[in-house]
Amino acid sequence: MVERTKLEAAAANYTYLRGLFLIPLGVLPIVSALGNTGWGPLRNTWVFLAILALIGIACLPINSFYNKHYGTLRASTGQQARAAAAVVLAIAVVVAGSTLLRSRASWSLDLPVNATAVTLALVILLSYAAGRVLKIHHLIIWGTVLATGAIPLWDGGDPSNVGLAIVGVALMVNGVFDHRLFVRTFGAPAGGQGDSARA
Amino acid sequence: MPEPKPEPVLDRLVHEPGRLAILTVLSSVTNADFVFLQRATGLTKGNLSSHLAKLEEAGLVAIEKRFVRKKPNTNIALTKVGRARITEHWAQLDSIRRLSEPSP
Repeated sequence: MVERTKLEAAAANYTYLRGLFLIPLGVLPIVSALGNTGWGPLRNTWVFLAILALIGIACLPINSFYNKHYGTLRASTGQQARAAAAVVLAIAVVVAGSTLLRSRASWSLDLPVNATAVTLALVILLSYAAGRVLKIHHLIIWGTVLATGAIPLWDGGDPSNVGLAIVGVALMVNGVFDHRLFVRTFGAPAGGQGDSARA
Repeated sequence: MPEPKPEPVLDRLVHEPGRLAILTVLSSVTNADFVFLQRATGLTKGNLSSHLAKLEEAGLVAIEKRFVRKKPNTNIALTKVGRARITEHWAQLDSIRRLSEPSP
């Protein structure tokens, strides 16, 4: 029996669940947080830029790994449109959310919450939902980040750097779970897959 | 007296499980390569090749052979006819399923 839903979801799963990318990408918010606080060598802008370049370089073998073992595809127009809409909405959520929850703006609610953690958790949940690949581990990981950020105990100084660090760690954990699910969905990479179509 | 609805007729070329899987996966993308199709459908290389050959012959898929970084890569996309046929086929299957459901 052909499982229509599962087959139609393959493209979305392939696009969104290549979790190994999230491991180097998770380093970015952590490095940003450390740079913002002027920690060690990260107080120099060039060190931050060098790390940014290294993160980019680290993504290349990951891309090759997925392409070699799992192939490539071009998403449907509908999926591309949903992804673009999610980006626009994400920008709106980050700008509006962080300004409204806690900022120097006169109309800000100035709540004792971690606006960075709250808004970024919402954005990531939103992007998975837009791709129609929202899974239970996404809800647990980002729900935890959201709840941590929303606890009204973030009085005192600016908590945005702690928020960035939390998001960085959550991205890496999320990446591990996404990749595990990806492998369960498409099979183990062992043995590799060659393109020997005779069609 | 209302005319009876025509009975759904299944498209034999599309209904074979391997080809139905291939066409269903392709209906959710713009195009995909051979390796992705193999992973998504769980078919062996030989089976996938033979089904793709039949689908190409029938004009349901377009196959482009190319080189990506000096390695052969086979890219596959549904044709307009293929997209229409798979959409129609799932509609037929849905109507059969509805017919088999007990009426309230």
